[in-house]
Amino acid sequence: MLALVGDAFGGRGGISQYNRDFLGAVAKSGMNVLILPRNAPDPYFIPNNIRQTRPRAGKLRYSIHAIQTALRARVDVVFCGHLFMASLAMLIARLKGAKLIIQTHGIEAWPRPTLRQREAVESADLVLSVSRHTRAAVLTWAAIDPTRVIVLPNTVRSEFVPEEGSRIRAILGMEGKHVLLTVARMDSQQQYKGQDRMIAGMPRLVALGHDVYYLIAGEGDDRPRLEALARERGVHDRVRFLGPVPTRQLKELYQTADLYVMPSTGEGFGIAFLEAMATGIPAAGLDVGGSRDVLADGELGICVPEVDFLDAIDRALTAPKPDRNELAKAARARFGRDKFGAGVQSVLNRLKEAA
Amino acid sequence: MCGINGIYAYHRAANLPKEAELLSTRDAMRARGPDGAGMWWNTERRCGFGHRRLSILDLSDRATQPMISDDGCLAVVFNGEIYNYPQLRVELEAAGVHFKTTADTEVLLHLYARSGAAMVHRLRGMFAFAIWDGQRRGIFLARDPYGIKPLYTANDGWTFRFASQVKALLVGGQISRDPEPAGIVGFHLYGNVPEPFTFYREIRSLPAGHTQWIDADGVREPVSFVNLAEILATGGLCPRPQAELADRLRNAVVDSVRAHLLADVEVGIFLSAGIDSGSLLGAMGDAGQRKIRAITLGYEEFCGTSEDEVPLASQICQQYGAQHLVRWVNRKEFHDDLPSILEAMDQPSIDGVNTWFVSKAAKEAGLKVVLSGLGGDELLGGYPSLRDLPRWRFWFGPFARVPGLASFARELAAAIAPGFSQKHPKALALLKYSGSWSGAYMLRRCLFLPYELPRILDTELAHEGLRRLKPLQRLRDSITPDPGSVAARVCAFESANYMRNQLLRDADWAGMAHSVEIRVPLVDLSLLRTLAPFIPAFQQPGLGKSVLARVPKIPLPEDNVARAKTGFGVPTSSWMITANAKGPWAQWPGAGTKGHTSRAWSLAVLNSWIPGNITRETQAA
Repeated sequence: MLALVGDAFGGRGGISQYNRDFLGAVAKSGMNVLILPRNAPDPYFIPNNIRQTRPRAGKLRYSIHAIQTALRARVDVVFCGHLFMASLAMLIARLKGAKLIIQTHGIEAWPRPTLRQREAVESADLVLSVSRHTRAAVLTWAAIDPTRVIVLPNTVRSEFVPEEGSRIRAILGMEGKHVLLTVARMDSQQQYKGQDRMIAGMPRLVALGHDVYYLIAGEGDDRPRLEALARERGVHDRVRFLGPVPTRQLKELYQTADLYVMPSTGEGFGIAFLEAMATGIPAAGLDVGGSRDVLADGELGICVPEVDFLDAIDRALTAPKPDRNELAKAARARFGRDKFGAGVQSVLNRLKEAA
Repeated sequence: MCGINGIYAYHRAANLPKEAELLSTRDAMRARGPDGAGMWWNTERRCGFGHRRLSILDLSDRATQPMISDDGCLAVVFNGEIYNYPQLRVELEAAGVHFKTTADTEVLLHLYARSGAAMVHRLRGMFAFAIWDGQRRGIFLARDPYGIKPLYTANDGWTFRFASQVKALLVGGQISRDPEPAGIVGFHLYGNVPEPFTFYREIRSLPAGHTQWIDADGVREPVSFVNLAEILATGGLCPRPQAELADRLRNAVVDSVRAHLLADVEVGIFLSAGIDSGSLLGAMGDAGQRKIRAITLGYEEFCGTSEDEVPLASQICQQYGAQHLVRWVNRKEFHDDLPSILEAMDQPSIDGVNTWFVSKAAKEAGLKVVLSGLGGDELLGGYPSLRDLPRWRFWFGPFARVPGLASFARELAAAIAPGFSQKHPKALALLKYSGSWSGAYMLRRCLFLPYELPRILDTELAHEGLRRLKPLQRLRDSITPDPGSVAARVCAFESANYMRNQLLRDADWAGMAHSVEIRVPLVDLSLLRTLAPFIPAFQQPGLGKSVLARVPKIPLPEDNVARAKTGFGVPTSSWMITANAKGPWAQWPGAGTKGHTSRAWSLAVLNSWIPGNITRETQAA
């Protein structure tokens, strides 16, 4: 399998993690994987059956490198990790007579893409989507048999498991308080993650009698706007911006919260919901986009329309806390690594059937 | 006729299906099966089936569905009739199979257990069924070769759902109502929604003559198990002398009628003054049925005119000793029933009104099962398309190959005779579409032309719909492999398009609304295989039909044969015009002509379908 990806091993963020999970599972099944990344900023370790070339950031350099590499290598399957590389992936798949898998994540695949990207998707043997919503969006603009568009949801790393206690709560002086948490980028171009909605709702939660604090982890150029909003709403003392949190500290940060909240309108899936729930922390989001999948339409987490969101948080803070281990078990029963591995095997089975 | 449905949470992340959803979809199909209802869940409750029953074979409780195999590994829900069930049963019993019921449903379980997906090749009849295979943990779906019985599916990426009706799937409340541009455009092109599309993006029809498999690896692409064009092509390669036709047709029609009489309840017939239903009535007697009740619709407007079918139909009944039931319908009843008709219509259709009333009459007469002559025109070349298509190809085909000529002619006509192209929309289109068989057939059957759609619909929706529908390619597929002769191509076109998407679908919803099972002995694969070697010789409309008139031992009266084909005519033009009088389309050029009425009626139907519509006319109104 030749994988064209933005980043995988040595990359950052949810898509990079997904690529590592997917390609790792493919390699585990016995297939050799050659990864061509555009970026790999961090040091990394490569598992068996996988090779990853040096990153090439420039579009032209990357394309030439990809075609040259493909011509020299044996390629049975081309995996395209992002829609923006779909045309190149289609070209290589045609040159090599290989099967083509195109991965779709979130907002990049919701509106109609360029005509060439659409053509590539329509020519693909399989299109993978991380959620039902992204799959439905692809089917609105692509004239492709719906049976070829498959949902393969994100999975969660094994270190996210329930553990008692968190030093962070004590450090922040929040013992005995209600703690809400969002872990997300603050991108002024996108602004869909919903930290602003949550900040705007804080006065109401306080008015309802909750001694509640809101922790925002992550970085981004939208932070000044959000800080200003907190001041404007008079809740700046209850909203704490923690800045970027290293991956190794994320689990402990989740343990700090009573409730993970992310009223986002643009999640392809919403991996942070899953990390929180796998850690045993209940999660709340909107019944919009891919959030519905990770929250299992309300069966795993709170999943409500925006208008009901604060009421739902109010109820969750008042209700007895759920059993952490049970919640973590339920989250893994749907999105655990074994399920993901089985899902990847299904994808490979489907490719074989199409042969 | 029955109603079937099911839900399967096939994806590992999916929520378990809710019983309330299964039941609400099932019970939205109450009219399909008023005699009983059943439900079944697999042990993990990831898969559930629902069934509404219209008892026709084995009226006992043993035959209720979902039916489970003795070892509990298989469960089936089935809508339709397997006419060769007695033969299959004998064969299976000889092989040691023990039957618990006398229902045809049970044979499906045993056949699947022995042959898996290949079982479909053994079935003669109309069917749509789903089998849960507990060992392979998946669902096997199948639909009959012609698409007589409907089967709709929906896949949201986690959960697979199916049902006999689109509207029933929607009642379940879990399926998106987002529109499918290809379905909407298809309806404007043809007056019906061409499969596999429906009006909704998430709901598809399992195409006729296809099977489908669903398991934890996902929903597989439907697989074709029969191709009408191929049967016609094969038949055309071994032509038989025409002298053999009469005998072969007689034997094959009587055999098909005999098979279609299999029932534990009385079987009646819909009778017009035409050749198809008249010959079937004669063949019913030849097949051994003694007591026959035949239903004819009479319209007060037609009384005493040449359009009145009642006198000629009575003559047929007299000749074959059948009891004749004439049901009179008038304008008031049409208008009174119109809301119910539109409600019962599962997907928008410009036809089916006649079938609605004749099924209503059957129900009033206490009949559950009736034969219909539907399919005779497709099989025996009864439509004008047989004459028109080769003519158009001959006269206009060469011009259609001149690039730009058609659009130049259209622009010229718009400049010097602006009303012409609106009054005669298809005339100029001949220059564009006569270059291929598919183009000529599309022109023959289309209501609106593709290039008219951006004027009627939202422009982007029209373009996207045409791109997804690929109308010409879809028609080309229905004559691939090439049946080899004009008559066989027309037979393939009409059977796989107009009959499938319009006539059979209308017969299903209109019959179902009155809990009446309509059986179509002239829509039968055995009959097609027998006739395929003769079809290339049916070079003129009427040739094949005149042989059909001589199928009964006592041939049809000459008056019936001589009379031009009218089928079950209804004075719909004038009734529809009244119903449409307020629509903006009433002002279109050509108002009152048949073509105009159909176009206007299609928009009126659509208007009732989607409140706050998508057409420009309605927006303007």
